[in-house]
Amino acid sequence: MTNHWLSLIVAAPLIGAVINWLVGRRVRSEAFIGFVACASIGVSTVIAFILAFTDNNGAGAALFSEPARPVMSHLWTWMEVGNFRADVGFAMDRLSGIYVCFVTFVGLLIHIFATGYMHGDKSYYRFFAYLNLFMFMMLTLVLGDNLLLMFVGWEGVGLCSYLLIGYYVDRKEAGDAAKKAFIANRVGDWGVILGIMFVFFITAAAGAPSISFFEKTDLTNLVGNQVPAMTNAFATIATMAVDPFTINALIAGGLTSAAILLFIGATGKSAQIPLFVWLPDAMAGPTPVSALIHAATMVTAGVYMIVRCSELYVRAPTAMAIIAVIGAATALLAATIGLAQNDIKKVLAYSTVSQLGYMMLACGVGAFSAAIFHVMTHAFFKALLFLGSGSVIHGMHHEQDMRRMGGLKKYMPITFATMLTGWLAISGIPIFAGFWSKDEILYKTFSTQSNSFGLILWFVGLCTAVITAIYMTRLMVMTFWGTERFAEAHAGGQGDEAHAQAFADKKTTAHDAQTATIDDRQHHSPDEHVGAATSHASHQVHAVHDEHDDEDAHEHHGLAHGQKPHESPLVMTLPLIILAVLSVFGGLLGAPYALSLGAIDNPFHHTLEPVIAHEPNFVGGAANGADDAHGSPATTETHSAPVSANEHEGVPHGEGATAAHTPEEIFTERVLAGVSILLAAFGIGLGWTYFQRRPLAQMPRLLENKYYVDEIYDATIIEPIKDGSRVGLWRILDVGVIDGIVNGVGTVAREAGNGARQLQPGFVRSYAAIILLGALLVIGYFAAALAR
Amino acid sequence: MKIVVVALATVEPDQFFQSSLMRRRCDIDDFRALKRTAKFTSSLRDDLCATFNYMQFLESNLLTILILLPVIGGIGIGLHSVFAPYRDEKQYKWIALAVTVVTFAVSLILLSGADNSELSTFRFEQNVPWINALDTRYHIGIDGISLWLVLLTTLIMPIAVLSSWTAIEERQPSYYIFILLLEAAMIGVFVALDLLVFYLFFEASLVPMFFLIGIWGGKKRIYAAVKFFIYTAIGSLLMLAGIIALYYSFGTFDYPTILRAMNDGSVVLSVATERLIFGAFALAFLIKVPLFPFHTWLPDAHTEAPTAGSVILAAILLKLGTYGLMRFNFPLFPAASRYFAPLIITLAIIGIIYGALVAMVQPDVKRLVAYSSVSHMGFVVLGLFSFTDYGMQGALYQMLNHGVSTGALFLLVGMIYERRHTREISEYGGLVKPMPLFSTLFVFASLSSVGLPFLNGFVGEFLIMMGMWNSTYQYAWVATMFAATGVIWAAVYMLWMLQRVLFGRITNEANRRLPDLNFREIGLLAPLLILMVVMGVYPNAFLVRTRDSIEQVRVRVASPQGGGTLRYAENVTGSPQTRIEQRP
Repeated sequence: MTNHWLSLIVAAPLIGAVINWLVGRRVRSEAFIGFVACASIGVSTVIAFILAFTDNNGAGAALFSEPARPVMSHLWTWMEVGNFRADVGFAMDRLSGIYVCFVTFVGLLIHIFATGYMHGDKSYYRFFAYLNLFMFMMLTLVLGDNLLLMFVGWEGVGLCSYLLIGYYVDRKEAGDAAKKAFIANRVGDWGVILGIMFVFFITAAAGAPSISFFEKTDLTNLVGNQVPAMTNAFATIATMAVDPFTINALIAGGLTSAAILLFIGATGKSAQIPLFVWLPDAMAGPTPVSALIHAATMVTAGVYMIVRCSELYVRAPTAMAIIAVIGAATALLAATIGLAQNDIKKVLAYSTVSQLGYMMLACGVGAFSAAIFHVMTHAFFKALLFLGSGSVIHGMHHEQDMRRMGGLKKYMPITFATMLTGWLAISGIPIFAGFWSKDEILYKTFSTQSNSFGLILWFVGLCTAVITAIYMTRLMVMTFWGTERFAEAHAGGQGDEAHAQAFADKKTTAHDAQTATIDDRQHHSPDEHVGAATSHASHQVHAVHDEHDDEDAHEHHGLAHGQKPHESPLVMTLPLIILAVLSVFGGLLGAPYALSLGAIDNPFHHTLEPVIAHEPNFVGGAANGADDAHGSPATTETHSAPVSANEHEGVPHGEGATAAHTPEEIFTERVLAGVSILLAAFGIGLGWTYFQRRPLAQMPRLLENKYYVDEIYDATIIEPIKDGSRVGLWRILDVGVIDGIVNGVGTVAREAGNGARQLQPGFVRSYAAIILLGALLVIGYFAAALAR
Repeated sequence: MKIVVVALATVEPDQFFQSSLMRRRCDIDDFRALKRTAKFTSSLRDDLCATFNYMQFLESNLLTILILLPVIGGIGIGLHSVFAPYRDEKQYKWIALAVTVVTFAVSLILLSGADNSELSTFRFEQNVPWINALDTRYHIGIDGISLWLVLLTTLIMPIAVLSSWTAIEERQPSYYIFILLLEAAMIGVFVALDLLVFYLFFEASLVPMFFLIGIWGGKKRIYAAVKFFIYTAIGSLLMLAGIIALYYSFGTFDYPTILRAMNDGSVVLSVATERLIFGAFALAFLIKVPLFPFHTWLPDAHTEAPTAGSVILAAILLKLGTYGLMRFNFPLFPAASRYFAPLIITLAIIGIIYGALVAMVQPDVKRLVAYSSVSHMGFVVLGLFSFTDYGMQGALYQMLNHGVSTGALFLLVGMIYERRHTREISEYGGLVKPMPLFSTLFVFASLSSVGLPFLNGFVGEFLIMMGMWNSTYQYAWVATMFAATGVIWAAVYMLWMLQRVLFGRITNEANRRLPDLNFREIGLLAPLLILMVVMGVYPNAFLVRTRDSIEQVRVRVASPQGGGTLRYAENVTGSPQTRIEQRP
């Protein structure tokens, strides 16, 4: 059904971005810029919730209409060549509805937080223009009604991520990180582009060429014209046979090839092995950016895409197995690295990579709704943790090294309390949001039938859960408990993140850290520093910005002598409180029957179920027919609600299993939950007892240096390509061989023409003149001929 | 702008003022004033029409007018500078600007009524005997393939003139004469339908460019100019031989006549002959493109040329090659095109990756953009030789995209060159502080070149890759996968360059006080930047007009029997001679 309000969800942030870019840059009023930015997201949020939850035009809410029907808005046909057509049109079905709701809501909170966090920044307008642009792209990604429009958003969020990571334009490490992020994502995009083509040609071979997610019939565009019909590509794929489970299927050019190519894109965007290296570096951006883009929304795009294309993936078991293995491996690898980081944002970054690994694992074992559930709860608690860390960094005057924190709970009670809930949520303590989603993933992994090594994957997931509890406890202990190290740390040297990093990497003394910053220092006179320090003491917040010259406005230096950390203002703590509430209770939306003692029967899962695919091989003989019923929004339309209800009660198939609640399953689920609760408690206990005593304990070097992955990539890929291109291709082949031949021919010709040399003066300009003369003669001849 | 509006209003006053669009755009006073003016001009028009139907005249001679306008402008500047020179030769650029702008405005008439169906045959055709001894005819016309290229040419030229505004200080009259002659020659190439006429324009475009590089170029300009000239002259001499060979087979230089003879089967080229002549034509065009390994003239020519020269070279002259392939090689030699396609596709893919890798390590900004052209034009050739509708439409679209994006990049590079007189990347850094607007636009143009969706580059690249994937070659998908790595490399070299030029700390004190862009510079970039968005968001407006013409070429070249027909070869009633005789 058509509802063009949908397009306003996407358009509002774009309008906000344009206003801020054109008007905000001149107005230079933080209130104006902040208002425009937040209001535009606010509009999106309100419309998103209205469309998702209320019965519009009598057609039912996007999330609850029975049968599941998307709200659609077709704008114009983007490109049409031959039988290929891609539209600019948006659609909100149950999956994108859930996504849009939490993206806009969390986005709104982060925007509000950022108005406080970025206060005093020199290019405030630029930050919010980028942030709004990001929301535009993210909503395009989620609401786009076909693969290519999704790809627009996909690349677009990558661009905004690039712009925002590199927001502090004169910092080299920010520029490097931004470039790295964009290029790593581009490597993934290579796969996505090819995957999209694959999907198109697969459907074209089946006689229904399409890259659309939805069937488009009876739609009208903005001016009321009928939109040409379009078939649903994934409904076409849903009629196809399952690819065999072999390695060869990867290159056979069938569904598995398409699936794995798209997954390559997901490894880029969702920071999986082997492309995860960009995400930790991306923390060079401002903290609200890390919360919004690099934790809550953009990085989960890979998961969204896989779930969106679930019809494809359930028919590509090889790809599913690879996704599961890569997801589990990434979860474990990143968690172990997170154990040894000292920068508070780096810990959270690796934690994000690790949690994304969980989501991928869920996708890989066919637990798509669990993956999306974890995406949502993760958005709540990880945004909370990032914003909390932002609040800490803000209160510490942009100190990010946890070794120079400690004892902050006294100074920042609200931040402490809210981060506490985030900590318990991510560690998997019951009632808190993270427990439900993580536990559902682990249970689904344990009981999966899509591969035979579910038990191993489950074990890996469990280990990761323990490590997660440990490193998060370490983070909390180092930050909020223990001795107040910021005072003594300051004596050693002024740290911003660059310095802190140098400190962490080299284990240098404070003196070395200082030498590393000599370049920065040249722009300060010692007097300025004193000035800055005193002003820190007198002004409670941010006077620091005004004291430095433009170039260094954002290079902060931790706390000055005698200065105390301070709690953040209300605009920053309020989003924290709301997110904390969500982190506590948000998970109940997806509490399963078994663990809630029958009180709640996983409403989240049941909402999503009609729009995601089920593994056809579980349904047996009638696989395709029965599968279609759940397969896609388009085909579900043909079934009435009672039919699907009957199927829920009927034969358990794949994900539908929880609906049946056999006693054995309930027992298994409860036992597994018990195990993970115990292990989470064990992890927290271990972390608490160890790091409480030794908060500065030296962690293994291998972990601290991130398994040297960056160094390995540099040495084996990047440097050889650079050197090979410079020396091999350019100097030897291009200049040496090809030009050598050309110039050689020239020389031979010149030698041969030695005899004729006397005729010519040797000035190139006279050659040119001769050439011109010749040309004129020819032209003159023809002109004369014409005249005749 | 006003001139255009008045012109439009004059041509069709009733329809124009009834259009609600116009009403909405003008406020009421403007509207009245405009209406008065239009009334006057249209009454003038009526008076004129009483004696002389100028609309018909315009329509039947439009292409000739387009070619002649710059020539007349050039001659005008020449005569003026000889007989009544301004004391200050800086005045001549105004004439050049006026002429190019008027040419652009007139060229917009090409779009009138140019809906899809009318572009399946040649429009604005003119066909008169020229040299009877050689049976050469002055035969010109446009279809969907040449339409946008002509418009691209007329759009780029005023921009090129504006970009020379302060950069060119010496010998301004001759500079602008060359620019205008170049424009005439390039328009001529795109509209010529007689092989000899085509050849003359093709060669004629070479000479002004040679002088632009050789006189107003950088330090190594002589070497670059001679290299450029010799490279391309060798190619075009081969083409001349090919043309003459065709003449001896068909007895005419007229392109549609030759096609008709091929369709009839009245003249059949032997396989060997077809391949030989194909080779002669293809070499000329592939050097112009340039395809790896014929590309080494390009970095030198681009780097040494003045900004306007680089812009014209990248935006238009390179397209002469790909246009020639599509216009002449495919329809004239379909079997040979298919025979050589695997080789050329291989070279194109090598070119895509090679160009990008070499671009990555260039220490010179202009050279970097030049090598990126090698990579991008590799995409175009790839799309052409895929012989699929996606690929060929994508290729034509990518020609326009490359013109717009790379043109803008050269303009931007020219702007910092004018300020610092160096092209070394290492000399820059941190430009975003003194020149924020420049940096924004530079990033924007780079992203378009990188192929970000919703900007122009993506549409072309995507369609080309789809076309390659869908082609009938063995291992087409492997080829596509390699070609697609081009999108990664593009990001690598562009972003790395951006980072070193724009971001980071200012390391060179000379950069600290650079002035940001002025109004002229913003104005000359604006049309290109707007086009980047429009072409990226609504490509259908462009694709729809190229569809039919390209489809005919595709059907002809892709069908295995070498069959397939071109409608413009069939539809013509009677021989050219009889048609001409009917004219007064």
